[in-house]
Amino acid sequence: MCAVPAPRVRPRLRGVAEGRPRLQTREINLLSKFDVIQCIWSFCHSTVLLMGQRSGRQERSKKPEMSLSENMKAEEEDDREENKELKTKDQRLPLVFGVADLKNGAVGLYNVGQTCCLNSLLQVFLMNIHFTRILRRITVPPYASLKRNNVPYQMLLLLEKMQSGKQKAVSPIDLAMCLSKHRVNMFIQHDAAQLFLTLWNLVKRQMKDQDLVTKLSDLYTICVQEHLACQICSSEMKRNSNMLTLPLPVLDSNSHMLKTLEDCLQCFFHPEELTGHNMCFCEYCDKKTPFLQSMKLVHLPQTLTIHLKRFCFERSTNVYKLSHCLPFPQELDFNAVLTEQQSQAHGSEKAAWRYEIFAVVAHSGSTNSGHYCAYIRSLTECKWYCFNDSTVCQVSWDDVKCTYGHSDLNWGQTAYLLIYMKKHPQ
Amino acid sequence: MAQWQEVQNLANTHLEQVHQLYAAAALPMAVRQCLAAWIEDQDWLQATEPLSSHARMLFHSLLALLDERLGSLGLGDEDFMLKHNLRKARRDLQAAFEEYPESFANLVANLLQEERRILRLGQAGGQGEAAPAPSTPPKSDREQEIQRRLAEFHTALQEAERAFRHLEDLQDAFDFCYKVHYLPGQDQTKDPEYTRQVQSLQAKLQNLDRQRREVVAQMQQLLGRSETLRDFLQQELKAWQERQQRSCLGAPVDTRLHQLEAWFTALGEGLFQLLQLLRALGELQQKVTYERDPLQAETPLLETRLREQLTCLLQSAFVVEQQPSMPNTPKRPLVLRTASKFCTRARLLVRLHDRNHRMEAAIHIDRSAPTGLRFRKFNILTSSSKTLLAGDSPREGLICDFQYLTLKEQKISGSGKGSKGPNEGPLAVTEELHLITFTLAYAYCGLEMQLETSTLPFVIISNSNHQLSSAWASILWFNMLSPNPKDQQFFATPPPAPWPRLAEVLSWQFESVAERGLSREHLHMLAEKLLGSKPSPESVLSWSKFSKDGAAGFSFWAWLDGILGLLQEHLKKLWKDGLILGFVSRKQEKKLLKGKRTGTFLIRFSESVLGGVTFTWVEHPESGRPAFRAVVPYTTVELASLALPDIIRDYQLLAEENIPENPLLFLYPNTPRDEAFSPYYSQRQEGSLTEKKEYLNQRLIRVSSRQANESWQTEEELVVATENLETLQLQPSGLGSLQPTSPGTGTVVAGSPGTLQPHPRGPGTLQPVSPGVLQVVAGSPGAQHQGPGMLQPGSQGPETPPLVRVSPGGLEMLQAGTGAREPQLVLQLIPEGQGTLQVGPGSLGTLQVLPGGTGMLQQGGAGDRGTQQVAAGALEPQMLLQLIPEGQGMLQVGAGDLGTLQVLPGAVGTLQSAPRTTGMLQQVGAGDQGLLQPGPGAAEPLPVADDQGLLPAGLGDLGPMLQGQDMQELLQFLEQDLEPGTGTLETLEAAELMPNMDSGLGQMDGRLGGSAALLDPRDPFLPQPEDTALPATSSLFAVDADFPPLHIDASDFQ
Repeated sequence: MCAVPAPRVRPRLRGVAEGRPRLQTREINLLSKFDVIQCIWSFCHSTVLLMGQRSGRQERSKKPEMSLSENMKAEEEDDREENKELKTKDQRLPLVFGVADLKNGAVGLYNVGQTCCLNSLLQVFLMNIHFTRILRRITVPPYASLKRNNVPYQMLLLLEKMQSGKQKAVSPIDLAMCLSKHRVNMFIQHDAAQLFLTLWNLVKRQMKDQDLVTKLSDLYTICVQEHLACQICSSEMKRNSNMLTLPLPVLDSNSHMLKTLEDCLQCFFHPEELTGHNMCFCEYCDKKTPFLQSMKLVHLPQTLTIHLKRFCFERSTNVYKLSHCLPFPQELDFNAVLTEQQSQAHGSEKAAWRYEIFAVVAHSGSTNSGHYCAYIRSLTECKWYCFNDSTVCQVSWDDVKCTYGHSDLNWGQTAYLLIYMKKHPQ
Repeated sequence: MAQWQEVQNLANTHLEQVHQLYAAAALPMAVRQCLAAWIEDQDWLQATEPLSSHARMLFHSLLALLDERLGSLGLGDEDFMLKHNLRKARRDLQAAFEEYPESFANLVANLLQEERRILRLGQAGGQGEAAPAPSTPPKSDREQEIQRRLAEFHTALQEAERAFRHLEDLQDAFDFCYKVHYLPGQDQTKDPEYTRQVQSLQAKLQNLDRQRREVVAQMQQLLGRSETLRDFLQQELKAWQERQQRSCLGAPVDTRLHQLEAWFTALGEGLFQLLQLLRALGELQQKVTYERDPLQAETPLLETRLREQLTCLLQSAFVVEQQPSMPNTPKRPLVLRTASKFCTRARLLVRLHDRNHRMEAAIHIDRSAPTGLRFRKFNILTSSSKTLLAGDSPREGLICDFQYLTLKEQKISGSGKGSKGPNEGPLAVTEELHLITFTLAYAYCGLEMQLETSTLPFVIISNSNHQLSSAWASILWFNMLSPNPKDQQFFATPPPAPWPRLAEVLSWQFESVAERGLSREHLHMLAEKLLGSKPSPESVLSWSKFSKDGAAGFSFWAWLDGILGLLQEHLKKLWKDGLILGFVSRKQEKKLLKGKRTGTFLIRFSESVLGGVTFTWVEHPESGRPAFRAVVPYTTVELASLALPDIIRDYQLLAEENIPENPLLFLYPNTPRDEAFSPYYSQRQEGSLTEKKEYLNQRLIRVSSRQANESWQTEEELVVATENLETLQLQPSGLGSLQPTSPGTGTVVAGSPGTLQPHPRGPGTLQPVSPGVLQVVAGSPGAQHQGPGMLQPGSQGPETPPLVRVSPGGLEMLQAGTGAREPQLVLQLIPEGQGTLQVGPGSLGTLQVLPGGTGMLQQGGAGDRGTQQVAAGALEPQMLLQLIPEGQGMLQVGAGDLGTLQVLPGAVGTLQSAPRTTGMLQQVGAGDQGLLQPGPGAAEPLPVADDQGLLPAGLGDLGPMLQGQDMQELLQFLEQDLEPGTGTLETLEAAELMPNMDSGLGQMDGRLGGSAALLDPRDPFLPQPEDTALPATSSLFAVDADFPPLHIDASDFQ
């Protein structure tokens, strides 16, 4: 009978509440720390792709690429209509926000049309103070139409709305409308891992400031080195790749269920022999030869996103969900998980490979219909929150542990994306 | 309690915060107070949303309510001020928020939230202060966490319900407006009024949609939280199941379920409530739906998820509360015997049920046994299904209690392929594990499912006690080690047990039997015995080494279980109080005793005899190394007649050249014997000492004799020494009475066919074979000759009996006859639970009771006061029971070898004279066949002193006695009275049976757990009238429920 119309935005810029000043001082401290830990790595990759899984298991890697190119087109279209609107009162919004707003309190987001997946991811982004620090420095697009279509700007507006009011939840309708212009539609079941990549690439693409782009890349990009060694002539090919997420298998090569996250990591970095059909052409041998394919970890970012490949393709087009129990640790030290051969980094880099969990995006339901929610450990308060669209409540690690999965429950919550945060050097 | 109420109850510091909160707030506290309930009941948060008309509605309702309240206030002084304040507040509020009702909603929402925060703080603080006081045991963190979460879940549920009601209101409002104003058929687009209406309708729908999404989000959240809670409960349940498993093995753990039941029920209730809420949402969607209705997409998903949750919760909530066990072996559950009753019980922890639905519970045995399992197959004989009735026992919860179940093995009639039956599997019977599965058809709130749970595996045995023991070993092993509680083929490849785990379980066995576990030293000794070395945490023991192989001819477990049995029956108290050192290796024993005084002894379990206990003492000879002596182990057979403390008290060591003495002086380390054991000595009737004693009391003692140069330092030597060990035991058994009722007749009435067990080492057995038949079997006639006869110094003439002890009190078994003119004999055999009637090895039994007229009594026992009791004033000799060693040339009982008990009534002054007048001499014939007939072994005429009269030694002699009139009368009498199955001899009146014993029979002393009756030995018989032929009577009674009623068949006597 009716579509959901977009209500007018009425940002509620209220005065700061009594509690705020106290918080300020703490956050300033945090800030200064973060400045120090700016990543030393810089990259010059124009697009960060979800790196392909290894041969034979490349189900997901192509999709982000596709959506990216689509987004490019969408952007061009949007540019044409930019002049139609003049400046609006929105410009009265402060361009640079004060540190007080770094609070990143837990505020819900209304579901505006099967947006639980988007909402969960937005929460993961917006609760990450490293991300919001970058977001707050973006330049505001000059025209209203640009503003409407600019994803980072809409995210910023949303963040502002969440932080300014005292509502328990706000509606991300503007952002959702904006995204739908970039072919990220509402009322569609999204895959969180895919949407994460899309969203991230949109944000990055629409940032004008190169410095910020670099920072954003640094914040999220994983760098690995792929090795392909011919088993006959021992010639080796290396290639550096960047990834936004570590797509970890939850089954090993024999389709046995892996027991822990560490096992998944080991399985992921385990060298694989390419024989038979999978043999590659060796230019030195001048024929197809068996290869040993291996992956070495070069760099890990501040915010590490791990994607558990719980959705599994059968031979047919059927997709089913693996909901068996897969525990993940609160603290993850890659040096303890990976062997010497599985990393390609120097000491100080490796010393920093110690992580603690920051967020879990959990999926419940089946592949066809499901629901996402996000468990996020507030970086400022160090408390866990569960974001279920507009409902937010404080939870404990025990609740997060419930997303390990359960072989008896097919419809229960299972962790799908794990976001780990690099620990501060002591 | 309402929030405002709670706020007012806060401690002062927190109350102060509340005052501050309201001092700065635009909402006066008077208003808050006045409309407390209403304010708390509204959804202010919802009203703070932009585009919500709710805020305005709430604001105006509040003003209206204030007006109403103002009107209702009286004119009193207090009311006057209140009225004024409220009126002012109303004015102010209207002025401030008339235009901005959302701000007002926001204000109230914040105030309420802040109140809650203060409340939490206050209550948390309050709990902190109250913490030291509570009388209930402090709950674990986990328990508190669960309680807290349950409370939260409940609150969240209420909030969801409130949100749902709000949604209902919104939908009703929208529905109404829609039906009234929306007229799609007519073209009214030009009508501005209509356009306005449609716009407002659109806004309402917008609002409705938002509220729907809100409710759905709340449900999602609620469901997510409940998953954690369910997970917690299942963890707790798992912990309980482990506890139950350990408790089955005897561990002292709490296996109560009520807490879990309360939690499961609370969560179940909540989830069912949520289910109904979801269904109500579905109904709302039926009434009004629109494109992209969130309810349409989300409710089915939510419901599927919730159903899965509920199923999971209910499945795990169905538990076996009581594992199958037989009522007569409650400490050894999970061992069932075919054709014996057993019971088991399952419980549904979610105590919710539909009264209109019959819940059928059923049990199945080995329902889902793996194929190829070649076990015996069983049927449950009794009804295997049951209906859980509504209101059956609401307080007790939903239980399926199956009592009085019995199992029967399926006999396969067709011939199997091989020579073995088709049911024969590769595993021993006691290694076959069986399962009982409970099923329950559950239905509640439209949710129907089949619940299922299984017992722990159990072993089914057919009969013998030996099987019970090894079946229990299987149960121990399984529950200790099996990772899978349903693994029926566990014993196909039984894993070895880590020693620390096994040690713990073994200790539980002792703890459950005798309330004291094994100490570190005990376990150390056991480990060395089992593993041959010091135990390390990594040591493991294989199943076969535990239960099958054993160097001594029996396995470790058989040995240990023998000890457990011994403890259970005879040594519970001593073990519990730590007087038994128990598990001490010989090496260790010497180490311990070496440095102690002569006469220091310790009690330990035999390693070579099943279920044997012995004591070892140290002697320091004047020169040379200390000697360690041990007596041959006592088993349950010996202990049945005489408790260990009494043995220790009266133990005598006889050596040719010494007077007998008790070598046991100090219990290790150095407690004087009597100090350590006096609480356990059987009672003696000290009081009666002062009375005029007509009878002499007797006491059974244990004596060892030894050659001067003998040494018993090794077990082998001990075995040799057995033969030197002299015991006289009269152990009445199951029942029956031995009662010579008239002079000259000896009769043994075996009350029932109960089993009288022969003394294993005793040379003979006295066995009633059938009612009324008492057989004394001379086991090994030759054995008597081996009896060295050490105790019978030939030098002692008849006038000075070798060893005489008459003592008052105690549980004497031999009862002196009355002091009447005529000698009498009363031989009492005390029934023991054991069912063994023993006549001790004849070679040495020197228990003589001498008529005490003349101070003839000698007491052998050192240090035993009060035992030298002469029955004062007895003119006539009273009773003679002589077991005279062969060498004596005296009256001999027992054909020396055993088994014959001769009672000689003595004349005055002559110790061993035959009865002068009546045929007082009674022989209980030693014979292996026939009734009261001396067997061949005893048939040789017994040497009789010259002056003694008739000594019926032979068969012929006995025959006439049987024909004695009195005897026949008695038999007839017995026949008449007992045949109808009266059950026990107790029904006979004592006076009738034994006219001269008016009270003796009545006072049966249930000495062993009431299973046996004992004629009170302390009760003196009355003097007999002179002219009566005095019967010498001995009775043997036992009343044991396990045995069939006493039945005497007259034909046996003919």
